[in-house]
Amino acid sequence: MAANVGIVGIGHTIFGNSSEYDLSDVLAYAATDALQDAGYLEKRKEIDQLVVGNMASGLFCHQSAVASSVISRMDMEPVPAELVENGPASGASAVKIGYMAVASGLADVVLVVAGEVMRKVTGWLATDYVATMLHTEAEYNMGLTLPAFGGMFTRMYMEKYGLTERDLALLAVKNHDNGAKNKYAHIQLPCTIEAIADGPEADVVNTYVAEPLRMYSTCPVSDGAAALLLVNMDSPRAQEFKKKPVRIAGVASATDTHCVHNRKDPLKLEAVRIAAEKAYKMAGLSPKDISFAELHDAFSILELAISEEVGFFERGKSFLAVRNGETEINGRLPINTSGGLKSKGHPVGGTGVSQVVELVRQLRGEAEEGRQVKEPKYGMSVNFGGFGNNIVSVICARD
Amino acid sequence: MIDFSVYNATAPTIQGYKCQNCGSIHYPAPMICSKCSKRRDPVTGKGWETFDLEGPCELLTWTRAWNLPEGYSRKYLLFGIVQFENGLRASGQLEVENPESGMKLVAEVEESDERPGDPVSIFVFREK
Repeated sequence: MAANVGIVGIGHTIFGNSSEYDLSDVLAYAATDALQDAGYLEKRKEIDQLVVGNMASGLFCHQSAVASSVISRMDMEPVPAELVENGPASGASAVKIGYMAVASGLADVVLVVAGEVMRKVTGWLATDYVATMLHTEAEYNMGLTLPAFGGMFTRMYMEKYGLTERDLALLAVKNHDNGAKNKYAHIQLPCTIEAIADGPEADVVNTYVAEPLRMYSTCPVSDGAAALLLVNMDSPRAQEFKKKPVRIAGVASATDTHCVHNRKDPLKLEAVRIAAEKAYKMAGLSPKDISFAELHDAFSILELAISEEVGFFERGKSFLAVRNGETEINGRLPINTSGGLKSKGHPVGGTGVSQVVELVRQLRGEAEEGRQVKEPKYGMSVNFGGFGNNIVSVICARD
Repeated sequence: MIDFSVYNATAPTIQGYKCQNCGSIHYPAPMICSKCSKRRDPVTGKGWETFDLEGPCELLTWTRAWNLPEGYSRKYLLFGIVQFENGLRASGQLEVENPESGMKLVAEVEESDERPGDPVSIFVFREK
C-alpha cells in the first residue's frame, strides 16, 4: 500500500523581475525557505531526494544541469537530484514525481522546488521561447504563439456560450483583488472594472493582446520559484518537522493531442477532465468537496474552461457564477485565491509548485487577512502544460 | 546575368498523409495511424501516401495577435484554424479583411523566413 504523503514545509520567492539573479539562486532561495519553514535546514543533508521543476533554463538563462547546481548552492551534497520538465506544468509534474518517490517507499523526505527566470531576455524572445512548446511544423512555424491560441480559444467560447469581454475583465478584477493581498504576487495592485472595461479610457488601459483577449486577460512574464518539503507521513521521520503535514490526497495527470486543431472539439480540454477525475478518485472526493481551487489562468478564459472541465460548473455557465461573485474569496467556491497567474504571475516552470504552496497556506490558515478562505478542508490545483496537452492536478487535504 | 537558382526553385508544399492500410488521412505527419495503428517509417514512407494539403476550407476561429515573437517586424498578424473539405484541420496565418468564423476560405502554402532558422512552409488562408 502506498505511503501517505504530506507537505511539511513551503517556500516562495516574490514573483516579478529577478533577472539580475542566477536561476539556481532563485530556486535555492525558495527551497531554503521551505527547509526553514519545516525546521529542517540543519538536517538538509538527510533529505532523500531533490526534484527540480523547470521548463526552459537552456533557452532563458543559457544554463543546464540546474538540479546539480541547486544542490551545491544549498550545500546539500550528496543528496540525489534530478530535473523534471513538462512545459508550464513542470512544477506540478515535479510535485507528482516527488509524491511518487515517497509513496513508492523509495524516499521518506523529498524536497521539490520549481521556478523560472524569464526576464533575462526581451519580451519578444520570451514569447518565442514559450512558443517552442507548440508543434514545430504545424503550429510554431506558422508564427503561432500561446496568446494566439488563447485568443482563438476565447473567440470559440464567446461565440458558443455568450461570454463577453466584460466577463473576462470581471475575472481580472477578482484575481487582482486577491493578488493585491498576496505578499508573493508579481502585481500587488487591485484594478477596477471601470478602468479596464466600463470607463472611457478602458480601450487604452486594457489593450488587445490577441483578440478578443486583452492585457488584463493575460498573465505577465514573471521570474520566481516555489518549494515544498514532502514527507512519508507513516514514517517515524514525520515527527522531525516543526509543522503539521498537509496531506496530498490526490495527484494525477493526463495528456491530449499536441496540435490544438486535431482535437475532436477544440473547446474541450479533455486532459483537464481526465486528470481531475483521476485526482478525485484517488482522494475519494468529488467536485462538491473542494473548498477552493488554484486554476491555471495564463489567459482568463482558462480559469473558466478549467473550472467547467473539473466539474465545478456546467459547461458554458462558469462566467455566470463569476458575475454572481461565487468564485470570490467569500463566495461559494473561491478560485485563484493567490491572485492566479494573472496577478501572482507565471514563471512558467514554477507555477505548479506555487499553486500547491497556496493550497498549503490556505489549509494551514496562513493566508493574508482579506484573502483567507474560511475553514477550508480540501484545495485543488490544475497546472496546464502546452495549450492543454499535458495537465497535472493536485488535491491537498487538512486532516 | 542569369540566375541559375530559379531552375531549382519549387513551390513550397505542406503534406497530408494517407494510411494505405485503412484509408484514414492525417495532418501533421503521424508516426502511427490513429485508426489502425499502422506504423509510418519517415525514411521509406512505405504503406503511406502523401498529398498536398491546400484548397477550400472553412474558418473555425481566428485572432489578431499583437505581441509577435522575435523575428516578426509586423505590428500584428491574423491567425486562424480551418477545416478542409476532407475533414482535416490546420492552423496558420490569415489574410482576410474582416474575418468571421464560418467563412469560406482557400488555404495556400507559402515560404516564410520570419522564424529563427531555415525558411519553412506555412499556410496562409485567404478569401476565394
